Amino acid sequence: MDKASHLSLILDISPSQWHLSASPSNAFPLSFKTFLSHVLTFLNSHIAAMHENSLAVFGALPGKSVMLYSSTDTAEGADVVAADPNAYRPFKLVDSLVMRNIQRELELLGDPEEEAPIALVGALTKALCYINRITHIPTGAATEDPAVLIDPRILILSVSPDLSSSYIPVMNSIFSAQKYKITIDVCKVFGADTVFLQQAAHLTGGSYIYLERRDALLQYLIMSFLPPPAMRQVIAVPKQDKVDFRAACFCHKDIVDIAFVCSVCLSIFCSPVPVCSTCRTKFPIKTLQRLNASRPSLPPSANGTPRPGARQNTPLATSLR
Amino acid sequence: MDPGSDSDLSLDEGNLTVRGRNKAARAKGIDPTKDKGKGKAKDQGYAWEANYTRSWDTVQEDEGGSLQGAVEELMARGRRRRLLAPAAAIRRTIIRHLILLLDLSASMMDRDMRPTRFDLTLEYAREFVTEWFDQNPLGQVGVVAMRGGIGERIGEMSGNPQDVLKALSERHKLEPTGEPSLQNAIDMARSSMSHLPTHSSREILIIFGSLTTVDPGNIFDTLQSCIKDKIRISLVALAAEMKICRELCDKTGGQFGVAMNEGHFKDLLFELIPPPAQRAVARTTGGGTTNPAADLMMMGFPMRLPDTSPPSLCVCHAEMRTAGFLCPRCMAKICDVPTDCDVCGLMIVSSPHLARSYHHLFPVKPYIAVMTLDNAPKPTSICHACSLPFKVQPAASVTDGMSPLGRYRCPTCSNDFCTDCDVFVHDVVHCCPGCEK
Amino acid sequence: MPTVTEQTDQAQDHTSHALLPFLQSQSQTALTRLYQRPSSCLSIFRLLGAVERQIVMNLLWLESSIPTSTMASWVTRDGKTFFDDAIATLTRLHIMPNPIAKLGLSPAFKTGMRHAVTGGGTSVSFGVPAELDEKRPAPTVEALDAHALERWETILHYMVSSGTGQAPARPSQGVLYLLDRSGLMKPNHGSQLQITSSGFQFLLHTPHAQLWELLLQYLQMVEERQMDLVEVLSFLFMLSTMELGRDYSTESLSVTQKAMLEDLRDYGLIWQRKASSRRFSPTRLATTLTSSLPPLPTATGASAGTGQAQGFIILETNYRLYAYTDNPLQTAVLNLFVTVKSRFPNLVVGSITRDSVRKALANGITADQIISYLTTYAHPQMRKNKPLLPVTVQDQIRLWELERNRVKSQDGYLYTEFASHADYEYVLNYAKQLDVVLWENATKRCFFGTVGGHANIRGFIERRTGGQAGTGR
Repeated sequence: MDKASHLSLILDISPSQWHLSASPSNAFPLSFKTFLSHVLTFLNSHIAAMHENSLAVFGALPGKSVMLYSSTDTAEGADVVAADPNAYRPFKLVDSLVMRNIQRELELLGDPEEEAPIALVGALTKALCYINRITHIPTGAATEDPAVLIDPRILILSVSPDLSSSYIPVMNSIFSAQKYKITIDVCKVFGADTVFLQQAAHLTGGSYIYLERRDALLQYLIMSFLPPPAMRQVIAVPKQDKVDFRAACFCHKDIVDIAFVCSVCLSIFCSPVPVCSTCRTKFPIKTLQRLNASRPSLPPSANGTPRPGARQNTPLATSLR
Repeated sequence: MDPGSDSDLSLDEGNLTVRGRNKAARAKGIDPTKDKGKGKAKDQGYAWEANYTRSWDTVQEDEGGSLQGAVEELMARGRRRRLLAPAAAIRRTIIRHLILLLDLSASMMDRDMRPTRFDLTLEYAREFVTEWFDQNPLGQVGVVAMRGGIGERIGEMSGNPQDVLKALSERHKLEPTGEPSLQNAIDMARSSMSHLPTHSSREILIIFGSLTTVDPGNIFDTLQSCIKDKIRISLVALAAEMKICRELCDKTGGQFGVAMNEGHFKDLLFELIPPPAQRAVARTTGGGTTNPAADLMMMGFPMRLPDTSPPSLCVCHAEMRTAGFLCPRCMAKICDVPTDCDVCGLMIVSSPHLARSYHHLFPVKPYIAVMTLDNAPKPTSICHACSLPFKVQPAASVTDGMSPLGRYRCPTCSNDFCTDCDVFVHDVVHCCPGCEK
Repeated sequence: MPTVTEQTDQAQDHTSHALLPFLQSQSQTALTRLYQRPSSCLSIFRLLGAVERQIVMNLLWLESSIPTSTMASWVTRDGKTFFDDAIATLTRLHIMPNPIAKLGLSPAFKTGMRHAVTGGGTSVSFGVPAELDEKRPAPTVEALDAHALERWETILHYMVSSGTGQAPARPSQGVLYLLDRSGLMKPNHGSQLQITSSGFQFLLHTPHAQLWELLLQYLQMVEERQMDLVEVLSFLFMLSTMELGRDYSTESLSVTQKAMLEDLRDYGLIWQRKASSRRFSPTRLATTLTSSLPPLPTATGASAGTGQAQGFIILETNYRLYAYTDNPLQTAVLNLFVTVKSRFPNLVVGSITRDSVRKALANGITADQIISYLTTYAHPQMRKNKPLLPVTVQDQIRLWELERNRVKSQDGYLYTEFASHADYEYVLNYAKQLDVVLWENATKRCFFGTVGGHANIRGFIERRTGGQAGTGR
């Protein structure tokens, strides 16, 4: 149980979403600044728990993902941080480097007319590559003691809605995390539930939490995401209550619950198509006619909209065969 | 069977038998490349001779006695293999139907594999089924046994791994006895697959421990009808190679292997798990034309209810359950996916099951090895993915396909990646961190 | 002396740190004073077990205490015992007052820990860095490692070669006194110190455990040297939170702490240019005090800098042992239980024999200690094996230990001359219920019970017979 653990934190830094989140019309307005102070305290708690715990922080910005901090690459920039007799140096380093890098990235971002979508996939794949790097035993070097090998996990603090165009890369990342036994935890700090991240947490055995009391962010983080996976055997952490298994179609990138699937390559389409756009397979006319006749009359639910509670349009037992 | 036939075969059909041996060498973790050993086919003697000469043959030390060069060589080979692989999407048969044909004849009680061939086969079959369903979530498996000269249906064709595992776990019902009959068993398997839709694959996997088969008729007729029905037969032999077994596999496009030991047995089985690339025969006129094997299917992606939700009746067992899945069309509650909704008939699958195969469709473009930094205006000093600093001094000697600087550039987003990330991105993640797809 | 728990990988899981029992024995006021320094809070927090740490963190930011049942509802069924143990430990450490109904952190600890995590407060408990000095730059990490290694190995080497006629470098007087006091060495005819059996055991511990064993001994002596325990502890904790390779000013240290500098210099925990220097640098021994896992300080490493995480021992199933080392200390330690056959510049070849193991056992080393030493220092190549050490060798070492224990003596009482068989049965049954019967013989109507059970049995017989029946010894 007492094993060092690695935490890769992915911060969703979307200026527009954070602006919305801070707006006083919310039940619990949360500004980016307050959010960061809670998160930094959480990161300090993670390092405090064990000398060997390692940490990496990634930022998903509009159209760009960056590594904000990593405990193995602190050499550069460490000199800038003045020593402080009242603070534990590693804490001080994390706090100042993360703050400095976020500041820098936000300045670089400037004030564009239209905000590019959040580069969550980039941040997620970078986190995976980084975990691969630190858990990978370099060839030639002495094999590490298995006890030193860390127990990696990724925590995503998300505020942006699902980006349906990134369905496939997100799923690919999830499967590689699953393969490498990396737990993905998700905390939805602001905005509606995201389907993809729910699936990410579900498939990797992590927990998905929708933050209801945003003023209690720190307590949520500590109670649910501080314990490493081994520890969760003893003190349970809240899990998400339900998982939405919807997927995004390949043609319009809509998130759909009933779809048409090519039998050769399993591409998903929101409406019957004569030719598969992925593998160029032509489908029999008969099938198309039959499916067109039986398809639901409602248009497929639009991007990100919640699943309709009950739809009663389709007659039961449509002739599929 | 003639005891000398094994060695005869390896001389006559060098390439074929050698394949199996090579895999054994690979299974020992020596050589991860595929195209090795073809040149060595001729000087291969008996299996027990071949086993030991390889491990140190493939790895060459350099002058300093270091293995670094050899390791890099191996990685370079992996890279090259990837570059050679077709960049276009490969079609794979994803909806598979498989009959697992187990030999339950008396010869399965041999103890040359511990504890017995029978127990080991059951154990591996269970592992195989679990793994198979993991990688082929939309497939179905049935189990047929051959014992006492007839074929016996042990498990019906099912898409639920639990059903198949249950059939395989009742050891007392499977006690081996009598002689096996390949013909009877294959006929039975064939008949249970005859009704299947055309877009799915039909496969038979035989685990065969005997050196005889007791058939009522001409087994070559059976073989012909299998070819006609496009049934692919693969066979793992536990004893020795038999002409008819190889014939069955070769003619139907399956794989044949003789297990040399327990580990090799498992390797041979597990090689059959990934979905096979769709065979050229299936599309005689090439892509773009109507493929009779292709079809469009309507599927629903369900909502998973938590364990804490209020209990309600499920449509499949009519029992009160808390957890379950909701059919997106009729909102009926189903215990497990994938399945067909009992109320509205919609095929219910969990979308991650489908997504698991998408990396075959959209592979990441191979990265280009950066040979020099001269034409790059502002090279980054760290790997774009894992932030590992690149080496500043180029390596003196470089094998083909490797970058002297340890940099590999994505042709789309022009970001530089380190060697480890290059391998990791292409083999595991299947998503470039720079271009995000 | 509190026993030092094994710090090996396997034993890591549920054994608590060696220092915790010592802290638990301290008074509440002392601990409360200690908790006023954020660095101490952080270090003690790290010494706690995983469950305890999580509980502390869960409670840290709550303003009021919460009912125990609320927290307990998070605990899974399997984790119940861990949870209860954790609460008990935290209470004994006075990190949590009165846990009966409500859970909450004691105010001192809460404030200290909060300051530690957020970096607030003005306690100056993480060490005041020295002013940059162009002429005298801080020593490099390598230099510090070399210093720590040299000091530490001097101590161990002195211990292992005492009584062998060699005359290795003597550690300072303070260290010798500590070794004597801790019972690791005893003066043997004359003033010469001779290693004791607990000293031999000590040698096979990991450096981390050795260090804490000595420091605990140091803490035990604090009282009689009239030093303030809280000052001493908080200085140790401060060292453990300092940064390796940076030098710190002695200005803010108290008198007691300045006095400690000399001792810690002798142990290799800190480095000072000269005794009167106004700056000091902690070595790796000090900065890893509260980290519970390897990599530990480079002490006893094959060579300075590579660290001891790199094992060097290869053990074969035929009891042959190859140790890739040229370190005299490691050779000497191996010599305790291995018959060395030949030595090469970087290799020692020997074999584990019955005689060599018996010699070690006679010195008070246990089979488990030998095995755990071999496990800890196994060569990376060995780590691929599963199990790591050949089973034959492990079993044989244990069997050799059992050989010595063929006869086990136990004090007790023999009960004879029962008047009737029924009487005998009756008393015997009673004794069996108490689980104190060691031996019985129905035909001779006698049985043998442990010392602990005697009072009960005697009382029982007296009650039953009114003091007439024959009981004897």
